[in-house]
Amino acid sequence: MHAVVMDSLEEYLSGALNPAAQREIEAHLTSCDACSEEIHSMQEVSPLFLSLRPDETAVPALGFYARVADRVNERKAVPSVANVFGLGFAFGRRLIFASLLTLAVLGSYLVVRESGYAAGPSPEAVMAQQESPAFDSAPAQDNMLVTLTAYEH
Amino acid sequence: MGTLAGTLTLPTFGSKVASKTRVDYQNTPEGALVQRAQAGEEAAFREIVERYQSKVFSIIHGIVRQRNDVEDIAQQVFAKVYLSIRSFDFRSSLITWIYKITVNECFDYLRKRKVRKLVYESDLSEDEVRRVENSDPAVDRQIPADSSLAQRDYVLKLLMRVSEEERMLLMLKEVEGFSVEELAEKTGMNENTIKVKLFRARQKLVKAAQRLDRTPGLVPG
Repeated sequence: MHAVVMDSLEEYLSGALNPAAQREIEAHLTSCDACSEEIHSMQEVSPLFLSLRPDETAVPALGFYARVADRVNERKAVPSVANVFGLGFAFGRRLIFASLLTLAVLGSYLVVRESGYAAGPSPEAVMAQQESPAFDSAPAQDNMLVTLTAYEH
Repeated sequence: MGTLAGTLTLPTFGSKVASKTRVDYQNTPEGALVQRAQAGEEAAFREIVERYQSKVFSIIHGIVRQRNDVEDIAQQVFAKVYLSIRSFDFRSSLITWIYKITVNECFDYLRKRKVRKLVYESDLSEDEVRRVENSDPAVDRQIPADSSLAQRDYVLKLLMRVSEEERMLLMLKEVEGFSVEELAEKTGMNENTIKVKLFRARQKLVKAAQRLDRTPGLVPG
C-alpha cells in the first residue's frame, strides 16, 4: 500500500478525513489498483465490528463486589508450584540465575580440560606408534620379562 | 490483494503526525487510586471494581452474548486485576489495561467453549452428533438465523487469528470508536506505532477472511 493511503488509512476507514485529504486518497485509488483492492477488502471487514457493540447496557447484579472478593480468595487459596516449595518470585529468579551461572562455570571448566587433552598426541599418532616395529622391540619385551620374574620371586 | 503490500516498503508515517507528550498516569487521581490498591488497600480495589464494572460487563456482553456467563467472566477479570495490580506500570490508562484483560478473558472463554464442544462431540457416534446438531441449530457450526449474530461469529473467528495486542487495538478502534490520537494517549504508544500496528492487524484480518471464505460452511454476514 502506498504512503499516501497508509498515512491516513485509519481516518479514511472511519470516515473522519478532511475533504482535501479524502480527495487526494480517492484520486490515488482511481489510479492504483493494488491500493484500491487492499483498501476495499479492509472496508469490507471494518463494519463487521459493529456487531460486537453491546446492544443493551449490562448491569451487574447486586453483591457483585462480594462475589469478586470470594473469587479472589479462591484464587489465593490455590497454591502455585512456587508456593508449594516455599519459593517467592524474586527468590525463584535468583535461583534460576545462580543455576545458570553454575552451569556456565562448569561448562567453561570442561572446555578448558578438553583443550588440555587435545594438546597431547593425536589418536592417529598413538596408533602409528603402536604399529611401528620399535613398539615390539626387544627392550620392551625385556621389561615385560623382568616384571614377570619379579612376581615369581 | 496483499501481494503488492508485501513487496512495497512500509512508509514511515510521521510527516503529518506531531508527537505528543505522554500522559503521566502515575500522577493523576486514578494513579493515586491504583497506588493505594497496589499497597493492598481493599477500599481502593473496591472503588476500581465499582468504577469499571459496568464497562467490563458491556464489553463482555458485546463479545460473548451469553447472559449467564457474563458475570462469571467479569468476576474472573476483576480477580485477575486484583492479583496482578502490582504489575501495572502506568504506561497506559487503567481502563485500557482492564480492557485488555477483559478482551483476553472473553477470547479464552470462547476458545474453551469451542474445545469443550469438540471434546463432547468426539465422544459421540456420528448419528448422535447429527442428532445433537439438528436439535440445536444455533450453535457455532450452523449459520445463525440472525445476520448480526452471523457477523459477530465471523468477526470473532477473524479476531482469533491476530495477536492479543492487535485484537485489543482493533477493538478499541472499531468497537469503542477511539481515534488514533486517543489510542496513543490511552496505550502510551506513539501515534505512528499505533498506525503501523493497526495496518498490520487489518492485513492479517483480510488474509484470515480470505482463508475463512474458502472454508465451506462459513458465510460472512
